[in-house]
Amino acid sequence: MLGLLACSALIAACGDPAPSGGTGPDGNGDGGASAREVVLVTYDSFALPEAAARSFTERTGATIRVVASGDAGAVLTKALLAAGAPEGDVLFGVDSSLATRVLAEDLLEPFQPAAVGQVPDPLRLPGELGELLTPVDTGEVCVLADAGWFAARSLPVPATLESLTDPAYRDLLVVQSPVTSSPGLTFLVGTVARSGDGWPGYWQALRDNGVRVRPSWDDAYNVDYTVSGGDRPLVVSYASSPPAEVVFSEGARSEPASVVIQDTCVQQVEYAGVLRGAPEPELARQLVEFMLSPEWQSELPLTNFVFPVVPGTPLPVEFERFAVRPAAPQQVPPDRIGEEREAWIEQWRTILE
Amino acid sequence: MAVGTVAALVLLPVAALLWRAIRDGDGWSADALSRILGSGRTWRVLGATVAQAAASTVLTLVVGLPVAWVVGTFAFPGRRAVRLLALVPFVLPSVVLATAVSAVLGPSGPVDLRGTWWAVLAAHLSFNLAVVVVVVGGAVGRIAPSLDATARTLGAGPLDALRRVVIPAVRPAVTSAAALVFLFCLTSFGVLVVLGGGAVTTLEVEIWVRSTRQFDLSGAAVLAGLQVVTVVAALGLLGAASRRGGATSGRLRRRRPRSPAEVSAVLGASIAVVVVSGVPLAALLERSTRLGGERTWSNWTGLGSVLEGTGLAVSPAEALRRSLLGAAAGAAVAVAVALPASRLAARRPGGGSERVLMLPVAVSATTVGLGLLLLVGRPPVDLRGTWWLVPFAQAVVALPLVVRVVAPALRALPGSTLDAAAVLGAEGRSRWWRVELPAVRGAVAAGAALAFVACLGEFGATVFLARSDRATVPVVIQQLSSRPGPAGVGQAMVLSCILVAVCALVLGILDAVGDRSASDRLLHRGRMGPWTSEPT
Repeated sequence: MLGLLACSALIAACGDPAPSGGTGPDGNGDGGASAREVVLVTYDSFALPEAAARSFTERTGATIRVVASGDAGAVLTKALLAAGAPEGDVLFGVDSSLATRVLAEDLLEPFQPAAVGQVPDPLRLPGELGELLTPVDTGEVCVLADAGWFAARSLPVPATLESLTDPAYRDLLVVQSPVTSSPGLTFLVGTVARSGDGWPGYWQALRDNGVRVRPSWDDAYNVDYTVSGGDRPLVVSYASSPPAEVVFSEGARSEPASVVIQDTCVQQVEYAGVLRGAPEPELARQLVEFMLSPEWQSELPLTNFVFPVVPGTPLPVEFERFAVRPAAPQQVPPDRIGEEREAWIEQWRTILE
Repeated sequence: MAVGTVAALVLLPVAALLWRAIRDGDGWSADALSRILGSGRTWRVLGATVAQAAASTVLTLVVGLPVAWVVGTFAFPGRRAVRLLALVPFVLPSVVLATAVSAVLGPSGPVDLRGTWWAVLAAHLSFNLAVVVVVVGGAVGRIAPSLDATARTLGAGPLDALRRVVIPAVRPAVTSAAALVFLFCLTSFGVLVVLGGGAVTTLEVEIWVRSTRQFDLSGAAVLAGLQVVTVVAALGLLGAASRRGGATSGRLRRRRPRSPAEVSAVLGASIAVVVVSGVPLAALLERSTRLGGERTWSNWTGLGSVLEGTGLAVSPAEALRRSLLGAAAGAAVAVAVALPASRLAARRPGGGSERVLMLPVAVSATTVGLGLLLLVGRPPVDLRGTWWLVPFAQAVVALPLVVRVVAPALRALPGSTLDAAAVLGAEGRSRWWRVELPAVRGAVAAGAALAFVACLGEFGATVFLARSDRATVPVVIQQLSSRPGPAGVGQAMVLSCILVAVCALVLGILDAVGDRSASDRLLHRGRMGPWTSEPT
């Protein structure tokens, strides 16, 4: 029996020559011949700022490899299930709505880059969380309206969160599930902050008014939203989506197709942290530090359509012209979200699913 | 010892999971139990799980029984082809079949039913048609033709003969086919993940969502316990149903369709099989050569690279290479454990060891996957980063298939041969290696091939254990098809086509080299037994 097991082990060993090396506890034996690599674990819509990444390689000699799997929530859970034996060195993309989950399982090593002092206080996390997570970018999750769609029907664009339950806007809104999507969860948090204990009533009204729930931002924005050819002219997305529409149209649009309904906006901050058990802890710290550098910060808007957290970082012209910074987005402290998040999600599921 | 190994392989992950359900930090806690079992939603999901399985079963019987009757009763040109086509979806990985169905009933098909129960029911019908056709068709074929003829001579009309002769004779077969279909649909997972689109959910999907999205492991553990109870209850009913054995005797004898009504029945059944089994596969192939609206081979030629926005850590081609090697390792482990286990099971049919070997069925694949992850992920021994965890889990899931093929072959060895061997001095180990094993090598090869196919297509356990840079093909297919945009979907279609080809190749080789129609025996012996639930 042992012999057979050994045989199968032999066969299987051929199955994993692991030329990539350095990606896990078993990948140590690549003889140090290949270049060093720091592995960035993140969500699958993340776009690496290429120029900044090259500059990081010049400075440290290490290349950045991105390992992406699913949306921000799925990535975080996957990392939690692998806590202590991580798939990479740095975790990026945990947002304010999910931040307290990193406290479970001892997921991260404490690390605070020197430059974090430049980040304004409201964007930083208090206490133990602040030692684990470094804010990298920020933005607002808002409901967007397809301006042309509403103009063609002489229907006013809804102005408030409450008006989304108005029968005039029946079957027009698509949102993301807070179970699987971080903008979806952030939007839910915003409705709770707004409606207080009455929030389940608001969602029942949304449900009765025909809200559609999609698993991810991609499905909602790129499939169901009328701007992308779908059938829903109201979508939960980002305040920075309008400049993205201009940039991605590659000249076809000179103006954004969407308008931001500012009353619905909720602030979202994205953080990075060093994974406990990282094969390259030193490089991991250098990468988190580098995420606050002018190179990385200034490249974020046009790669990921978010705002830098370091004040004074120059914004690209598309952002200056088309990006909306809502005057007073809802701000919900991550520790408060942490206390009640699971109960909110649970209750949301009983209403909507 | 082999049986003990199997018990440990299955029970340890379950124990780890249940432990998680009742532990909170360092203390005992009934919190997860009361939270999950006290929620109305849990019972709604359980109700939906049972209801969709029942609906799938009814649908499969409605379509499958006429086909089984035609295939069992008549000899007609193309009969073999029709029967084979009906069997194909059953040997495909669940994720692949679901992708094929989504090529017809998904966002890229003519009608978009993704996210509705209709798409799920369609896939379950396609998958399970084989069960009804093989089990019931076999029974119909074995009704002594004289019985039918005698009834007619004695004055019974065709309907009367059907009611009083045919139906009583095939009822046991129908019952056990229905029970099997119900069981498969109860633990269906890959189909739900690909076609459910997050909108329709069952217990299996709920376990997956809770553990991998909400990070509610204790809640997922409670649900896994509920799933085990449900499946065990269904298995009990299944056992009770199939014990009411029926007598189908007589030799296979089929006749040509005579009346116009019989000819149109044959035509109708053939068309039904082509629609249910053939159309999804054809659509799969067609969609693999389409990108957006254009005809192109770029989905095929681009397999070596990671498409932007798909979030894959390795290229589909690399995932394929590793999946094939991993499945070979998994099959080797499954065979290594299954051989001694089969020997024990063969010695005492229906005994305790045979019951233990049923265990991997009562426990769904997601339970095995999540349980293993929790089991190996605790200090001081942390095995989550090891490459062999996935083949190992796949072996656990594939194991009963091998036993199911090998044990009957061992049981069928004539006692005189074994006695002769004993008289000539071959005892114990030596008799095993020199007499028994060579005598059943055909069955062992069949079991190994089946295990390979099962490991290659395994999704429920693998999805928990495969790390991003070691994703297997079914995991990659699911990841690609869950993302909007034509490029990822196109690659998912290509990978599905390749897995269809690999499965067909493996079973085809077996059919060519095996004695009698080996793939047919595989279906009969390997997949049809009550404990062979392929997690779908």
